[in-house]
Amino acid sequence: MAATAREALQDIASEISAPSRARAMLRLNFSRDSGSDRTFLADSFQEAPLKVVRAFSMEDGTALAHLHNVSGGLLGGDCLTMQVNLASGTKVQLTTTGATRIYRNREGFSATTQCNEVSVGEGALLEYLPDATIPFAGARYLQRTSIELAAGSGMFWWEILAPGREARGELFEYEEFAVRTRVSAIGRRISAENFCLRPKQENVSSLARLGHYRYAATFYICRVGLEASAWRCAEDRIRELTAGMTRRDEILWGVSLLVAHGLVVRCLACNGREVLPGLQAIWRSAKRHLYDREAIPPRKVN
Amino acid sequence: MKPEQELVTLTPSEELAHLRLLHLADSALPIGSLAHSFGLETLVSAELLRVSDLPEFLHGHLQEAGMLEAVACREAFHLALADGEAFPAARWIEINDCLSALKPARESRAASATLGRNFLQAAMGLEDFRALRNAREASLEAGGQIHQSAAFGLVSGALAFDETRAVLAYLHQMSACLISACQRLMPLGQNETTRILWKLKPAIVEVAAGSASFTLETVSCTMPLLDWGAMEHPALATRLFIS
Repeated sequence: MAATAREALQDIASEISAPSRARAMLRLNFSRDSGSDRTFLADSFQEAPLKVVRAFSMEDGTALAHLHNVSGGLLGGDCLTMQVNLASGTKVQLTTTGATRIYRNREGFSATTQCNEVSVGEGALLEYLPDATIPFAGARYLQRTSIELAAGSGMFWWEILAPGREARGELFEYEEFAVRTRVSAIGRRISAENFCLRPKQENVSSLARLGHYRYAATFYICRVGLEASAWRCAEDRIRELTAGMTRRDEILWGVSLLVAHGLVVRCLACNGREVLPGLQAIWRSAKRHLYDREAIPPRKVN
Repeated sequence: MKPEQELVTLTPSEELAHLRLLHLADSALPIGSLAHSFGLETLVSAELLRVSDLPEFLHGHLQEAGMLEAVACREAFHLALADGEAFPAARWIEINDCLSALKPARESRAASATLGRNFLQAAMGLEDFRALRNAREASLEAGGQIHQSAAFGLVSGALAFDETRAVLAYLHQMSACLISACQRLMPLGQNETTRILWKLKPAIVEVAAGSASFTLETVSCTMPLLDWGAMEHPALATRLFIS
């Protein structure tokens, strides 16, 4: 039944107060050194299992930080919060060291919850480029993300959802995966998403949902202050690119203007191999178009 | 006497309200509903959606998009009940802004806003209600959009319709318009169309009832494939529909 199948989003507050395994916070504050025009991690607050070892300085002055979860993945009952603050004029790239694994929810534990609060200051640029999220069989995951963009700031933010541990034939065996994302620019909401799948209670392969595709990705591309006509031009440019990457039976790419200040790209794919390279290709093109700069892929530990 | 055999007697004012609701929820109301497919045309063009898929697709569509629009309809309905007090213009703007943000594809967002504006305009031509005037002025002043479900809810509240009946009527016309679009896109005959819409009615009742449990902040809408269809609609070489 539709109503009960969506209680995850409604109950997120009560889930957080239910018995939990670990409550942890990761707060990262980035500042800019005006002399060198380099961004650095000014201060951080880290509670296990969340960890950032250090921020690396990239050739263009961007600070690159790898988000670690030292427990290897998200466990049932975990209640994690990440706060990221970018001061004016900073450039930050955040990535993961591998796929985010959401383990089976243990009996008696609340759903795994992840709250992300992101603030991008004036003229700053955030690039959030994680690997895929893989909900294991029996996983219950609720994510809430709030992103505030200041005047002149920008953002490249993607997220990839896998159907499960595909290599062992585990497809859509999780209990629930609910993501609530809000993006605001200078106080105005420009995008909202309430995405919720409960494969055991509803037909995720319905053409009204994923159809025969298994992977879903969303990519927000924002730069506050650009005129609507410039965004139409950017949309056309990315559509040209995505048209060449779309193969109806295997992978679909779509792009559209947000209410203002940005674009959203959607991808649906039968397998995950082409999703990340496709997102990277769009990122490169969009960064060149919007910033006249090359996208520098994050160095990975592996 | 079994419950289904009980005679329901409506008062003359209820009868009038019933007729008005039927009129406003008629898909033939000249607001342009039949010019939009909300991304369906792309799915049909890509051969992803066939006639045999329609019952299941429309059922899923009701559970996702239908639930979202029903929640918006209810929230706007309650604003009109504030008639006599100051119209809650800020909340009206907020509901519509939230709907705009929740619609990722610009063509579908624009379609919903065009139909909403046209619907409100049409209703204002039939009856003069302060809430409707205030809502339109507030949206114009804020430069915001007026979405169809919100406009339908507001007008229904202003006309003192029963809230659940208004939501049911909205969902019914939404499904009827989509099926009508399918008729023009696919080899779908009148009899089959009628059967599909008839069988959707229990799902419409279920979604309308469920929508009372949510707000626009908590209701989910997960339709990535139709979002893709709506996003890529502008790129179709030949188009029957505006969206």
